[in-house]
Amino acid sequence: MSRANGTPYAPHTDDETAAMLAAIGVDDEEALFDIPEAVAFDGEFGIDARTEREIRDECARVFARNDDLTEFLGRGHYGHYVPSVVDHLADRAEFLTSYTQYQPEVSQGFLQALFEYQSMLVELTGLDVANCSMYDAATALGEAATLADRVRSTAGDTVLVPEQLREGKRAVLENYCDGADLTVETYPMTDGTADVDALADRAGDDVAMVYAESPTVRGCIEERLAAIGDLADETDALFVLGSDVVALSVLESPAAVGADVVVGEAGSLGLPTAYGMGLGIFACSDEFLRQVPGRLVGASEERAPPEGARDGGAGGADAGGTRAYTLTLQTREQHIRKERATSNICTNQAWVALRAAIHAATLGPDGLVDLANDCVREAEALAARIDELSGAAAPVHDRHHFREFAVRVDQPAEAIATDLEGEGFAVHAIDDHLLQVCVTDLNAGRTDGLVAAFEEVL
Amino acid sequence: MSFDVPDDRRYLESHEWATTGGDTVRIGVSDFAQDELGDVVFVELPEVGDEVAAGESFGVVESIKAVSDLYAPVSGEVVAVNEELFDRPELVNEDPYGDGWMLEVEPVDGGDAEGLLDADAYDDQIA
Repeated sequence: MSRANGTPYAPHTDDETAAMLAAIGVDDEEALFDIPEAVAFDGEFGIDARTEREIRDECARVFARNDDLTEFLGRGHYGHYVPSVVDHLADRAEFLTSYTQYQPEVSQGFLQALFEYQSMLVELTGLDVANCSMYDAATALGEAATLADRVRSTAGDTVLVPEQLREGKRAVLENYCDGADLTVETYPMTDGTADVDALADRAGDDVAMVYAESPTVRGCIEERLAAIGDLADETDALFVLGSDVVALSVLESPAAVGADVVVGEAGSLGLPTAYGMGLGIFACSDEFLRQVPGRLVGASEERAPPEGARDGGAGGADAGGTRAYTLTLQTREQHIRKERATSNICTNQAWVALRAAIHAATLGPDGLVDLANDCVREAEALAARIDELSGAAAPVHDRHHFREFAVRVDQPAEAIATDLEGEGFAVHAIDDHLLQVCVTDLNAGRTDGLVAAFEEVL
Repeated sequence: MSFDVPDDRRYLESHEWATTGGDTVRIGVSDFAQDELGDVVFVELPEVGDEVAAGESFGVVESIKAVSDLYAPVSGEVVAVNEELFDRPELVNEDPYGDGWMLEVEPVDGGDAEGLLDADAYDDQIA
């Protein structure tokens, strides 16, 4: 009998358990189950029961072994200061449930919050439709590829992606494309952004989708998006743009450069960088409304029935003309018609989307733009300071940067990164002589330290 | 209520119709089907050049209250698609035997509509 018996979590004492077994006439608990011996676990679990206090002490001991580095890490994963109001609101019991609240009869508040999140993305991208989240930027990219495969306007089976692409994104995309009989091909980059001439040479009828990023994985702002959009348009390929929810507030509107779909991360808002979590965004033009993966929250308002309708049209509001929210166009989803579903993603990160929406709303449009402008200024300023040091040149690419930039070092990059770690700073080593440094409002106050550490190790 | 069942074409039990006697077979859904569905809001159809197979699903029709597969009355290659339906799916309700047509197929077996119901048999089925 375990020490855990007789606790709030296993309330029966050994005596009570014995009395119950005796009452029904069996010798031990094993007799209550019929598990074939072949599959029965025969051994000790090795789990000790401990008090809450003991567990806390143990965790504290384990956490104390973590290094305490100041991170200048980015490459797809970014932290900004999350105002405390995000925790206070998102942790309310009405929001923080184990099961996402989609039933319109009882969940108008949550559905409205998701609708607000979608509306923000529509505003940031200039596109018509946004879903209420995907797992992360990589899955959103994979879903964009299968969408490109499904829509009537494209005929090819090749997906073109930039040669500099985060490895995880590429791997997830390959998985998606493998199942859809699509082929992933790369196009070259020059000086951190797309080589549009090479892309033009490669474009053709066999291309279903052209993917470009801004900012790129090296933090460069892509200046020729409109040209890429035109190229995709000329060959009837979808133009899918990968971006970031903060960057979108200052970069040219995706709709204006001809993007058909926008994918990327919104996890830079509302989330800490811990645990590797992301929040995938997916927005597209009306044309693909029926092909959107994931969930869509719609709003309905009472209006006059359309001419010829025999049952009041598609109104979902009450008689008072109040606005009502509901998941909509669900026939795309696998819980309705699995064999024809647009995606096998039937869950999403609604609560995380809620946090991003609260964070964005707290910043407001001006605050979001200020944050984005800081991402440009801080990166530029830090690169200039590192560039002054002997043995380092930054930024490597002659472009505008957002949050992050590459640094060329004379010595091997891995060794420099290791030495910097010794000084208490974490940066990426991305190539033999290339480092990547990312600066946001979270670590901007530690740039003096980083520059001093660079000086020390170079 | 009685439904329009023109006798110049044949029918499937699943309520699709097919024209007979021409080089190509035009396909749509019956008056009864559009009424059962209610207001049609979306139609998903194959593309010109695709193959359809008799008895197998070639597309989807979605209304404000239901979503249904569409079944091909004959096998063959799609030679025309009513693209008008993508912008005006309500044509299926308004004119199921005319402007609400869906596909034209060049049948592989000479358009043999054997096994399809004639108008009387279909009328009995929906009566």
